[in-house]
Amino acid sequence: MNTPLLDVKGLRTYFYTGRGVVKAVDGVNFIIKEDEVFCLVGETGCGKSVTALSIMRLIPYPGKILDGSMLYKGKNLLKLSESEIRKIRGREIAMIFQNPMNSLNPVFTIGYQISEAPITHFNLSRQDGWKKAVELIEKVKMPDAEVRAKTFPHVLSGGMRQRSMIAMMISCEPNLLIADEPTTSVDVTIQAQLMHLLKEIKEKRRMSIMLITHNFGLVAETGDRVAVMYCGKIVEIGSVKEIFREPMHPYTQGLLRCLPIGFERKKQLDSIPGTIPNPINPPPGCRFYPRCKYTVEKCKLQEPLQIDLGKGHLVACHLCGG
Amino acid sequence: MVLNLNRVKGKMLPLLHYRTSCVGLLIVFGIAAIAVGATVIAPRHYAETDIVNRLRPPSLEYPFGTDVLGRGVFSRVVYGARIAIWVGLFVVFIEASVGVTLGIIAGYYGGKIDKVISAITDMVWAFPPIVLALGVVTLIGPGLNQVVMAVAFVSWPIFTRIIRAKVQSLVNREFILAARAIGESNLDIMLRYLLPNVVSSILVLATLTLPAAILSTTALSFLGFGAQPPTPDWGAMLSDGAAQLATAPWIATFPGIFIVITVLGFNLLGDGLRDLLDPRLKV
Repeated sequence: MNTPLLDVKGLRTYFYTGRGVVKAVDGVNFIIKEDEVFCLVGETGCGKSVTALSIMRLIPYPGKILDGSMLYKGKNLLKLSESEIRKIRGREIAMIFQNPMNSLNPVFTIGYQISEAPITHFNLSRQDGWKKAVELIEKVKMPDAEVRAKTFPHVLSGGMRQRSMIAMMISCEPNLLIADEPTTSVDVTIQAQLMHLLKEIKEKRRMSIMLITHNFGLVAETGDRVAVMYCGKIVEIGSVKEIFREPMHPYTQGLLRCLPIGFERKKQLDSIPGTIPNPINPPPGCRFYPRCKYTVEKCKLQEPLQIDLGKGHLVACHLCGG
Repeated sequence: MVLNLNRVKGKMLPLLHYRTSCVGLLIVFGIAAIAVGATVIAPRHYAETDIVNRLRPPSLEYPFGTDVLGRGVFSRVVYGARIAIWVGLFVVFIEASVGVTLGIIAGYYGGKIDKVISAITDMVWAFPPIVLALGVVTLIGPGLNQVVMAVAFVSWPIFTRIIRAKVQSLVNREFILAARAIGESNLDIMLRYLLPNVVSSILVLATLTLPAAILSTTALSFLGFGAQPPTPDWGAMLSDGAAQLATAPWIATFPGIFIVITVLGFNLLGDGLRDLLDPRLKV
């Protein structure tokens, strides 16, 4: 339990576009412990998905991981060769995507697709792979697994497809499952079912989940620890309890104020004024200062360091002494 | 009344379309049957001469008449179907193998690899096909196989272009990312994820390029680069008959009619297939 499952240090992923260098992820540090749900939250475009793709080493062209280290069970994922990282993908670290409509191959049955990964990683025969697929479909609680295995993705609903996707990704019993906004494109009831399913699988398999979301409700319900990302940097990390009880960074506070609370009827929900800065030319100093209520002169000049408030609660803000 | 007419139209149009492709299918089957059963259908061997009965007009004994050497035009046309079909399939097979392979590689990898492949494709594409094919044939010598090579060499770019575009639209779909996320290799992704997704396009393209392939080889044979005598190639027969067009028009007419029917049949079938499998594909 003491050595983390994944230890990401100083991760920098830039995209070299025609208009300039997009600093999508700019020096991110975090750890994921064994058997925990680690949440990564932030606005759209703050670098959550790029962080996840960097861990899988699936950054698309023209992106590039500049530096940093990602120690997975002591191995630096960035130093592995292409064939070595392929053995990690699916087998050790798997990933679920946001849009179940697009993430299944339209020309094959879901049973065939689910059997694909076990066949690749465990050298199973087609028949054994198929049996495994049916088992997995049962595990993700789809009725009539035998029949479902023979259906094509377009016949299934969004929820069913996301279940198939989960089946596909847990097929090799990975130790870390990255779920990139797995429930944004399904409705709330399905969302609850899927999260329940993920938690259940996690309990059974003792795997860790890295949950990427912009939904604080999900974080409160399922997360153990949470990191808040803003413009390519992590501004605050801590246990879910800590963060919800005592958010230290003005951005985290702002995000939490945007949520409706219980049945209390506010006139209008709060919002954080302004938009996320251009990641090609981020503001100097603290990246949040143009939108921050408490900006002081220092914020504009100097980048705040992450400071430890104890109990693993880290925050990067000058107001807290960073 | 207006309503009625619209209803009739609405029902008739798809049906009509269905019919034309059915006609195409029938023609293709017919030609294929003739090609397969040539030995049974043809009354005599294509090279058998009957010098006494040379240049005879169509009769019961010689349904399509005889040519300069007294060979039955009917028998030669029937045997010619074999060559036409074989040539068409062979050309399309080579075109598709080269074109699809390059198209998938270019579309999947993108970047420099794509640039190089696209540049080569555009270069070949830029030449008028027949002229380039002529050049190739003069380089590798005349003969049916050489003509097949030449025609395939000039016409694979259409496969590369269309398959590349298709693959580019697939590559950014999440299921390809998902495939990589479960640890599939690039080769696996190209063969088992991308290829099955472009099969319908390949099929449509193949039926649509096959008649063009037959036409091009016929043209080359007509010019004397293709099948050498006495091979009963339709194009070669056309050029044989051209000299006698005024005195014995049947020699050139019948192979000509068969070329038209075959090409038309494949085109109709290809159009139907396109509407059925891949309505967005425009060749």
